[in-house]
Amino acid sequence: MKRRKERIDRGIKARSEDIFALSSYREMFYLLVPRAIPVVGLLGVAPFLSPYWKEVFISTAVYALLAISWDLLISAGLVSLGQSLFYGIGSYVAGALNYYWGWSPLFTIPVATLVGGVLCTVMLLPVLRLRGIYFAMVTLVLPLMLMRLVEATRILGGTEGLTGLTPFPNPVTSFYIIQIALLIALFGFRRIIDSDYGLVIRGINDNDRSVMSAGINIYWYKTQILFLGASVGSFAGAFGTHVDMFAGMPGFALDYSLLPVASAVVGGMGTFAGPMIGAFILVPLSEVLRALGALRIVFYGLFLVVFIVALPEGIFPYMQRKYHQFERWVEIE
Amino acid sequence: MLNVSNLMVFFENALALNDFSMEVKEGQIVGIVGSNSAGKTTLMNTLSGLIIDMRIKEKRRGGERITVYGKVVFNGEDITETKPNDRVKKGIVLCRERHPIFPESDVLENLKIAGYLKKASRVREMIDYVFNLFPALIDLKSKKAGFLSGGEQQMLAVGMALVARPTLLLLDEPLLGLSPMMQNLLVEAVKGLRNNSGITVLLSEQFARPVLPMIDYGYVLENGMLMLTGTGQELMDNPEIKAAYFGV
Repeated sequence: MKRRKERIDRGIKARSEDIFALSSYREMFYLLVPRAIPVVGLLGVAPFLSPYWKEVFISTAVYALLAISWDLLISAGLVSLGQSLFYGIGSYVAGALNYYWGWSPLFTIPVATLVGGVLCTVMLLPVLRLRGIYFAMVTLVLPLMLMRLVEATRILGGTEGLTGLTPFPNPVTSFYIIQIALLIALFGFRRIIDSDYGLVIRGINDNDRSVMSAGINIYWYKTQILFLGASVGSFAGAFGTHVDMFAGMPGFALDYSLLPVASAVVGGMGTFAGPMIGAFILVPLSEVLRALGALRIVFYGLFLVVFIVALPEGIFPYMQRKYHQFERWVEIE
Repeated sequence: MLNVSNLMVFFENALALNDFSMEVKEGQIVGIVGSNSAGKTTLMNTLSGLIIDMRIKEKRRGGERITVYGKVVFNGEDITETKPNDRVKKGIVLCRERHPIFPESDVLENLKIAGYLKKASRVREMIDYVFNLFPALIDLKSKKAGFLSGGEQQMLAVGMALVARPTLLLLDEPLLGLSPMMQNLLVEAVKGLRNNSGITVLLSEQFARPVLPMIDYGYVLENGMLMLTGTGQELMDNPEIKAAYFGV
């Protein structure tokens, strides 16, 4: 007797897909739980963390934001290797406003988010027509170029950077600001990508010529997505600069470009929740491994390789499937 | 030459091929006729081994699980789990549907890529043979394949399959998107292959009208099920086939 494994949607998934989801608490609970986990998880852990881990949590959230922004760009087929461009621009804009004109973080962060978004979009506008590796190369080079520009011309504090910026009133404020921003980005982007607008975006990734044939100007849509992604990255930069009370060349560091990509790969691309989960695994992991000294990177790399080989689809799609479907053996003929 | 017994292919929970058995004898042209979603391409992928590759890729991505049951025997050897590249070495070469060519390379380069693993002299010989079979390609030698017309691309695709020196040539929908004139040209070429070089051909097609007259034996597939078998003439005389495929 031959058997094969069958994958079937859970009954509750089918039931909770339409208006009948509202007919029982069980269905509502089923829908609510996955959405409540990040909210409760991010906002509820604060009292249980030591000051050190609170710091780690904040920097993790910054990386998670960059990873989500990377994931948004990849949804439109824009492979970015330069999240540090967004981070660095955001951090310099906020830092300069605070350093030279004494603006409070209350204003510098929103302004840096918008101005950073516009600046990055304008910088990448000429290469928006390029696809795949060409776009990636340009995004990789730009932050390195800007870094050397700052060094050579000694503008914005040169190699010293801008120091002594206004910090947040207390760690709790900064903790909640970044977590709420992360939740807004997570749910907001999911909403955008699930809408009809998101359909166009995913279409551009899939087959841009077909989208063009539908009479849609794909470059205009790509520009919009680039602006959204860049704004979120710039927000992360502006926020990070006030946490560190410092804006400087490290803002363009390669870490900010590569870790988001690694997070997205570990967590599952194109899901937004995946890259966030990935960041929340990778950044704390690198902290835990700090005790190993120089061997840290070895174990870190090993973990990444094992993970990518064992679960190439990513954590989030795997969890999603287990939540919505079950498997059973069936006999054939 | 080729024996398929009780083949079943699942794409996750969907049954693409159901208990399909067939036989291809040496020197024959065998046709698989069926409408869309009949399972023709699935059968071709299973015979060429591409399904093994697809199965691994889907599994890694966490996508649909592909399950294959049944047995494929080629020249007395069970090749059900043989990798596609090894099957080509054994002589089973597939020409996939929708003109599978390298659009950025020119025609001659395309043919050379297809014969990359063969001896240079043999490849030259085969390329001459292809140009003989499709004289239209000679003038297009150094033209980028992506700029060729649909019919020329299909000729090139068949030519590429030939350069790999098949003993059993699998053609998946070779007439797709071709004009009736082009269809005739290709049908004549396939007949020539069998008559002049003794290559066994297994082709799948939706268009029964040009295909049925040339095949030695045919199988009619529908929704993954084998509905009818017979020689080309028997199938053409069948009233159901007449109604479904000839509109008579």
